[in-house]
Amino acid sequence: MPELSIRICVNGEWHELKVRPDERLVDSLRERLGLTGTKVGCGEGECGACTVNINGKAILSCLTLAVQAHGKQIVTIEGLRRGTELHPLQKTFADEGAVQCGFCTPGMIVAADAMLKKNPDPSEGEVRKTLSNNLCRCTGYDKPVKAILQAARILRGGNHE
Amino acid sequence: MNDHFSVIGKSAPRIDAIDKVTGGARYAPDLNLPGMLYGALLRSPYPHAKVAGIDATKARSLPGLRGIVTIEELPRIVGYWFFLRSEKKEKDMFLRDNVVRFIGDPVAAVAADDRETALAAVSMIEVNYEPLPRIFDPHDALKNTQVTLHDKGNKAFHVTKHFGNIEQGFKEADYVIENSFVTSKQKHAPIEPIGTCIADYDAAGKLTVYTSTQLPSWSQMYLARALGLPNSRVRVIKPYTGGAFGGRCGLVHGLEVMCAFLSKRTGKPVRMSFSRTEDFIGTETRHPMTIDIRTGVTKEGILTANSITILANAGGYSTHTIGVLANCLSTGVGLYRCPNVYFDATAVYTNQSLTGAFRGYGNPQMNFAQESQMDIIARDLGIDPIELRLRNYRGLGEIDPVFADEIRSEGLRECLARASEAFGWKERGSRRRADGTIRNGFGMAVMLHGTGAAGALPDPASAMVMIGSDGSVQLATSAADEGQGNRTALAQIAAEELGLGLDRISVSMPDTDLTPLDGGTHGSRQTYAGGLAVKKAAADAKRKLLVFAAKDLGTPEQDLHVRDGIISSAKDPSVHLKIGDLMRRVQISDMSVCEQIIGVSSGVAPAMPGYYGATFVEVEVDTETGEVRVAKLVGAFDVGKAINPANVEGQITGGAVMGIGWTLTEELLLKEGRVLNDSFKDYRILRACDVGEIVPIIVESSEPTGPFGAKGVGEGTMVGVAPAVANAIYDAIGARMKELCITPEKILEALDRIGVEKTHEP
Repeated sequence: MPELSIRICVNGEWHELKVRPDERLVDSLRERLGLTGTKVGCGEGECGACTVNINGKAILSCLTLAVQAHGKQIVTIEGLRRGTELHPLQKTFADEGAVQCGFCTPGMIVAADAMLKKNPDPSEGEVRKTLSNNLCRCTGYDKPVKAILQAARILRGGNHE
Repeated sequence: MNDHFSVIGKSAPRIDAIDKVTGGARYAPDLNLPGMLYGALLRSPYPHAKVAGIDATKARSLPGLRGIVTIEELPRIVGYWFFLRSEKKEKDMFLRDNVVRFIGDPVAAVAADDRETALAAVSMIEVNYEPLPRIFDPHDALKNTQVTLHDKGNKAFHVTKHFGNIEQGFKEADYVIENSFVTSKQKHAPIEPIGTCIADYDAAGKLTVYTSTQLPSWSQMYLARALGLPNSRVRVIKPYTGGAFGGRCGLVHGLEVMCAFLSKRTGKPVRMSFSRTEDFIGTETRHPMTIDIRTGVTKEGILTANSITILANAGGYSTHTIGVLANCLSTGVGLYRCPNVYFDATAVYTNQSLTGAFRGYGNPQMNFAQESQMDIIARDLGIDPIELRLRNYRGLGEIDPVFADEIRSEGLRECLARASEAFGWKERGSRRRADGTIRNGFGMAVMLHGTGAAGALPDPASAMVMIGSDGSVQLATSAADEGQGNRTALAQIAAEELGLGLDRISVSMPDTDLTPLDGGTHGSRQTYAGGLAVKKAAADAKRKLLVFAAKDLGTPEQDLHVRDGIISSAKDPSVHLKIGDLMRRVQISDMSVCEQIIGVSSGVAPAMPGYYGATFVEVEVDTETGEVRVAKLVGAFDVGKAINPANVEGQITGGAVMGIGWTLTEELLLKEGRVLNDSFKDYRILRACDVGEIVPIIVESSEPTGPFGAKGVGEGTMVGVAPAVANAIYDAIGARMKELCITPEKILEALDRIGVEKTHEP
């Protein structure tokens, strides 16, 4: 299969890639760019482990072709940290015990980041609704929900409760 | 007890949390080795067939195809570590033949330069199958002597046990209550699919395997025996793992052994990763069971006789079946003080997909039957269900009849008191609602689960604590952390024992070249058995440290203590020394010594203490649609001592949700041996919006044999959920649900059967 050239901006850095026409974005990120923080849990768009943000919107990178991302801004879990400083979502997930096996965690955090940019003050129900795109088998979701609500408070400039 | 701990008992963030929230944590599917080939499996489309011939000529002509192996060349692993105890038993652990026994059973494996070529090669292998008669129903398997799946017949295991005199027990009863319960085939479904491995033979014939196993030490031995290598020439490395729940409790059928053969054949590292579909059809599941239970009880609600008969469907091969049925015995007999018990359990082979270990290890099935039965008894006799449990449970100081061991810690009474209080059990009558078609109801169940496997299985734990020249500590352990957080708990135990901050402790990942023998992460054992090993190794290191310190400070060892990295005299606080300063001298500066302090411990866990739990549930049943929602669940668990309370809460909440899933939505459906729901779209695990209020409660009974009083928690948290939900459904609609999973269709059928009015008249 002939390869196609694309340009994508991942975590603030532009990359020129040659990809197969049928190549999934998740494979380009993981295998060509070495960004293995984005996981594959099902490959069918059901589990949300492969969630990345494209132009500010949470999308499933296992159902997205690499060529569809041409010219776009992509943020993966690796792009949320500012230097060594954790993103508030990363910090609250760690502090609130919202991480167990951690395999669904990057997808959850990235999805929550996209949600909080649109809705900085979500209700618990809204958080649960967004998080329902991400399957987790370990936590029972309670601590991830709390971590997202706490991160929202921090991002709004409120006090850490 | 002394509660002035500085590190344990606190919800310290996990030591792996930063790695995981930043995307830096590498799991098996994230690993690559230079020159690595990609493997793929050819799986049987038949539920039962003889493989009469395999023609791989076409596949071999494919450019980029590097190697092929077939089942005729490979042993299959059909046992667990209990089989390693003697050379004679070990032979039963491996099966070599050319028969496939379920749809998805591996027939051949290939290695190629890339995934696409591997998959293409698999599709080009021509197999001549001779279909064999198949059996799907376990009752048929038991009766049928013409069609046998294995040389020894269709019985995978059978056990009968008698305690007391069962006939006499039924004579003493005022009532005899008899019921039959059926449980479903549940899939572990961790978000990292089960089945990724990289096998890498070096030129000298030493094998390194990266695999997400719960059992690094036993996996090393399984592979060594399967491949005819000394243990020391097999190195198993376990990277971060995306959940396990029993699904990685051994080698994965068709994975590591095939990868190793392919690596040997090609001279290159080979990676194989199962897809989600392969996880669903080709890896182990929870044993479905039919449990008949007949109970004699006095009018005061005292159990006099209990007869339990189990038929389990083991599928095409059996690994953990013996252990699972044995655990049905120990939990089914252990919980209540009934003096007369008959227990009979049989597992049969069928041409269904595999079964194995799964969170609870038979106990969820056994407990569903037993705790549903207790609810029926409570209602029939008009006794409060909590009171019925309190009158019958086996408590502190009593002897467990299966293991003939004393119960040294017991928090069930406190679990019941605190959970019922938090739930509002007494006031539940005032919360009863009937809004339109919705009926709510309340139910509860209790459970007992053993910590670890001492006395039942080989149960070793080991640890090495190495103090560095700056006073920081490396802890080497093969205790696999699948996400539970046991590496963090072990670090906390080491820090507490050594008098150091948690940030001074680093914990290894399991690597059998470097980390010592361990019984594996199963049976809720690592905080207990692993924790004891770490505590002893840390104490050993500390003792050695204080010998040097005593010499240095001119103070007897017994007068010295360590806190926050400072060794000081209890009698004169001005006499003190930093661990780092001492260690630098001992290891480097004093060239007459140059010694590293290494604390070690290895040995069997001293006991298998039971941990207790009580689960209270409120359900809402829609009588029009049949849908059931768990609106509230309170789970209280007696963990001995919570080394890390946040981690314990995480286990309780996660287990509750997995338990609700098993009860209401999760069932692997097979038709003629074919899995019908092999994706997350069709096999429904709960999502965040499906989950109601969950309240975790920690009870601490202080287990005398445990590290700082700790015992287990992980598995038990899902055990009592199914009966609590079923009991609540009965409370809501008056229908007794005896078969899992409880689908809307079954609720509607039950409502039709009992003729409940579907609309509420206020």
